[in-house]
Amino acid sequence: MSYEHLIVERHGPVGWLINDRPEVRNAMNSAMRDEFAEAWTELDNDPAVRVIVHTGNGRDFQTGVDVGEVASDGVGMERYRQSMEDFDVHFTSWHQGVWKPVITAVNGICCGGGFHWVADSDLVIAASDAQFFDPHTSVGQVVAIEAIGLMKKMPVEAVMRMAFMGRHERMGAERAYELGMISEIVDPPERLRERAQELGETVARNSPAAMAATKKALWGALETGLTDACKQGARHLVSMWGHPDQAEGPLAFAERRDPDWQPL
Amino acid sequence: MTYETLEVRVEGPVGWLVFNRPEAGNAVDARMFVELEAAWAELENDHQVRAIVNTGNGHSFQTGLDVRQLANDPEALRASSRQTRDFALRMTSWHCGVTKPVIAAVNGTCAGGGLHFVADADIVIAADDATFLDPHVSVGQVSAFETIGLLKKVPMESVTRMALMGAHERLDAERARQLGLVSEVVGAGELRDRAQTLALRLAEHDPERLRAVKQALWSALESP
Repeated sequence: MSYEHLIVERHGPVGWLINDRPEVRNAMNSAMRDEFAEAWTELDNDPAVRVIVHTGNGRDFQTGVDVGEVASDGVGMERYRQSMEDFDVHFTSWHQGVWKPVITAVNGICCGGGFHWVADSDLVIAASDAQFFDPHTSVGQVVAIEAIGLMKKMPVEAVMRMAFMGRHERMGAERAYELGMISEIVDPPERLRERAQELGETVARNSPAAMAATKKALWGALETGLTDACKQGARHLVSMWGHPDQAEGPLAFAERRDPDWQPL
Repeated sequence: MTYETLEVRVEGPVGWLVFNRPEAGNAVDARMFVELEAAWAELENDHQVRAIVNTGNGHSFQTGLDVRQLANDPEALRASSRQTRDFALRMTSWHCGVTKPVIAAVNGTCAGGGLHFVADADIVIAADDATFLDPHVSVGQVSAFETIGLLKKVPMESVTRMALMGAHERLDAERARQLGLVSEVVGAGELRDRAQTLALRLAEHDPERLRAVKQALWSALESP
């Protein structure tokens, strides 16, 4: 499929999903939202793609919903409201049930709805000039879903502070790293994509099936308490028993070669 | 019980449970699998013991199941498989229902199943040469219990990263401290002294209060 507002590329085992509305700082209009659903599924269904990197073209990563467009095209706002009320949304990898590893590479500003992709991915790295803030409350909007996602993954005070400070305060990459919201700062910022590709290729050396089951166990654990999460985790763990990768892994290790994994 | 794979001893009010298969990175073989449950029970039931320190002999803290050894012991393999499938493991203090405070003192490498003992301890300190990694997915295995335990306690991205990077990346002690995975990093030569000092402090507290606090706080992890 061809996309108007996203770029989908493949570099070796790494699929790339690139926000491509740089003239509006990659804000998401209705068409882009539909394209996200399509693009995640396309990359998830491609057996050659083992890891997905998500970043933005231009200066900024993503700045949430394109309110101007959504409010003025006659149908966008109503459709948007309804999908949120029903939590029937499809624009992140988590929404789309993508079980391949997803790396978010934050360039420049990530604000408001941009946090959806930070909250919903497995690895998050950022350029040293990245900035994070959540302007919803400064423009009379409620922030909920993306902040809830973040709260489950990092210290809550930092998330509440961003939600309440709105556009009047920004968090830099360094603080995001300290808090564990991101795991790596790339400096100089121009190296961001190169580093994301490197990380993607490293993750791609691991068993696709084992990583998918691991993702299910870990993301499932956010839905429940510790003991129940472990019991559900056991089901995902056992699901790999008898899989060819479980023999191939130790064999390749013993023979000092790269494993030949089964595609997902 | 006479232990072959662990050292279990009592120093004043402090019980020590030390992994003792340094030649195998302290990996859990069939024998250790059985001894761990016995050792936790022994220290839990010893009225002199008010706090427990868990560490390892040699260059590694703990490197998870010794899969090769278990493969040669069908009965042990069946037992460990059953306990895994049913999530009925009896390896850590949490699995075994220990009510006393547990301090993990991480020396050297903590890999894969070794993370169980970090996730399930109350206090974790580390030597400055300690490293943390989860190689499961690099050998075709799923990472579940130990990383689930960790993600309830530290920022999740660091856990999903560790689980998905597999054998290809290690978290160092200083980053582990920043993330709150451990609360203190000390020189490798000072690790045991520091653990004993912390444990002695805990031992000054009313054991019943500590028990109640431990129960209350771990119960809180049982809600979503």
